[in-house]
Amino acid sequence: MLLLDYQNVLIQSLLTERFSGAPPTSIDQVVSDFDGVTFHISTPESKNKIRISMGIKCFKDLLQYGADQQLQKEYGSYITDIEPGYDFTLLVDLDNLPPSAEERESLVKSISLLKRNAMAAPFERAFDEHAEMAKEASKYSSETAPQGIKEGGEVMAIHYREQEAIYIKASHDRVTVIFSTIFTDETDRIFGKVFLQEFVDARRRAIQNAPQVLFRNEAPLELQGIPGFRASAKGEIGYITFVLFPRHITQQRRTDSISHIQTFRDYFHYHIKASKAYIHSRMRRRTADFLQVLNRARPESEEKERKTASGRTFRVQG
Amino acid sequence: MALQTPAVVMDNGTGFSKLGFAGNDAPSFVFPTAIATKSGVGSAAGGGVRPAVASKPSYLTGGAGSGGSLAGKRGTEDLDFFIGDEALAAASGPGYGIHYPVRHGQVENWDHMERFWSNSIFKYLRVEPEDHYFLLTEPPLNPPENRENTAEIMFESFNCAGLYIAVQAVLALAASWTSHKAADQSLTGVVIDSGDGVTHVIPVAEGYVIGSSIKSIPIAGRDITYFVQSLLRDRGEPDSSLKTAERVKEEYCYVCPDMVKEFARFDREPDRFLKHTVTSPNGRSVTVDVGYERFLAPEIFFNPEIYSSDFLTPLPTVVDGVIQSSPIDVRRGLYKNIVLSGGSTLYKDFGRRLQRDIKQLVDARIRASELRSGGARSGGLEVQVISHKRQRHGPWFGGSLLGSTPEFRSYCHTKADYDEYGPSIVRRFALLGGPGST
Repeated sequence: MLLLDYQNVLIQSLLTERFSGAPPTSIDQVVSDFDGVTFHISTPESKNKIRISMGIKCFKDLLQYGADQQLQKEYGSYITDIEPGYDFTLLVDLDNLPPSAEERESLVKSISLLKRNAMAAPFERAFDEHAEMAKEASKYSSETAPQGIKEGGEVMAIHYREQEAIYIKASHDRVTVIFSTIFTDETDRIFGKVFLQEFVDARRRAIQNAPQVLFRNEAPLELQGIPGFRASAKGEIGYITFVLFPRHITQQRRTDSISHIQTFRDYFHYHIKASKAYIHSRMRRRTADFLQVLNRARPESEEKERKTASGRTFRVQG
Repeated sequence: MALQTPAVVMDNGTGFSKLGFAGNDAPSFVFPTAIATKSGVGSAAGGGVRPAVASKPSYLTGGAGSGGSLAGKRGTEDLDFFIGDEALAAASGPGYGIHYPVRHGQVENWDHMERFWSNSIFKYLRVEPEDHYFLLTEPPLNPPENRENTAEIMFESFNCAGLYIAVQAVLALAASWTSHKAADQSLTGVVIDSGDGVTHVIPVAEGYVIGSSIKSIPIAGRDITYFVQSLLRDRGEPDSSLKTAERVKEEYCYVCPDMVKEFARFDREPDRFLKHTVTSPNGRSVTVDVGYERFLAPEIFFNPEIYSSDFLTPLPTVVDGVIQSSPIDVRRGLYKNIVLSGGSTLYKDFGRRLQRDIKQLVDARIRASELRSGGARSGGLEVQVISHKRQRHGPWFGGSLLGSTPEFRSYCHTKADYDEYGPSIVRRFALLGGPGST
């Protein structure tokens, strides 16, 4: 498993089973997803009405950047009143499903991507903004461009975790996505550094059209002067900058790009852990080898101290 | 933080792993504890061949004997694997070999287990281990070294926020609190845990397993399936595959009060004979008659001689023996709280029959000692077998129940504790749900 899935496997398997015409049962499950997202799947009224609620930490941020329209577009008639304690709620009536199997499947797919779709809003907006600015900018040469276009749009901040955030900024020739990450563990930080160096090198070596990746411990200039932004004092926060060029955000690639970049943090942490697991397995192997050597080195017959019946020992006289 | 992340409850059994979040009433995922890896050059050709039995305990070799070929690889081979149902599917194709990292309830291959866990956490549960507390289970009499290994993996590989390792039997006791029969939330009782491979009878006093009195019975779910299969074969049914036998076992079997009377009853009421339709993948369907095996199959717990010639002690006698070998001051509590757990205890009236049989044994003994004492009267002894709705995933549900209590986190060892003391910290855990906790 190199890449992580974007959809929530549990929601997917649960709905697939429900939609396939299995006898209705009541469900009441709290499920979590990455980035502190919680789902609550329940059947509050009757067994045929499945309610799916999502609690997401940064929902306020997302709403600000047009998550409403995005979700409206994606789910439309399935949206219902928000369950208390959560941020967004869908209601699916099993008696009222789309008739064809493909449509049902795509509905399952889209519900299991609920978190992704909610998080996608600011990205979509940034990409749209970029397209507009690019159009605008094509009227000017680089010297005569007015200030607004050169500078780019406002920086959108999504505080998706307690101490970490994604910042997105569109400008006329690129979209910049900055992750601030924090490592609680010293070992992880070192692993992370190696990984990020690989990202930087990969572009240089093999994959020329990959987005540019920068990693540093000081806050990048784009983030200076953003309300609510605090530069870290001790440098335990790292900043990873992705520069998406127009070729990454064409209409047909857009969906993939958004999914990929959203799962970046999880992907990153997953691979740090996977490489630790790999190193551990090598360590175990090495230990086993050493133990084998030690066992081989044991002398055939060990000299035992001999005793008489009364407990006295023989000693070789010098 | 207002909304606390739910604890992750993982119960990795020999056959199946149960994964989910505390507070839910059923595990989110139940799949085989299997991992399919690319069969490397080092392992035997063809893959799927079991590694040679290690001559040393697995905590010394680390189980590296089989997965060792990985050490020579420099690419992404270590990520090329599947777990659970996907593993079974992958192993049926070429290139992958299947491994079962847990044997007899204990982790045998830590390399595979580590990757199994990483996939369960990241692919299925989708959680960041840094944000969640984990509740894992272990079989009774698990060596402390295994606990330490588990802690090393959970804390050093995954950096999980906190860890609690509970004994399955204790969790199964906790799961029985949902039954209306369980009067008080005590952690004293006998757990009859019958899974696929083996049945354990485990006495627990105040949350601590009485290790010296544990008995295991080599009759469990698989044997019942074999027995049903042999009955079907003897009758010459058109389909007597293991799968059909399993379906028959799960759908039609029940426990009868008396074997002889039940035979007579079947002869009187012909509608007790049922038909089971098997549809094979090619679309053909055959009908299998289901007769006496409906009550004969679970009967092998109570009259093992009809199935096996090696093991002849009925389950009620074993349970009685276990309680009699426990310390005298807890015996009354043990008789009062006999809890069922595991898939093979789900037969209708299993609990009732067990309770009746144990009661008979106990009453006979009391009467005998009354006679011997010459005139003394005994106050009697209460025997109660508790069956409840969560029996199938008993240990998991108990974990979910305890993991959702507000004080659960204070019982865990945290990452900071681990860094301070090292792996030996997990040798001891405060007893969750024990006296004084709720």
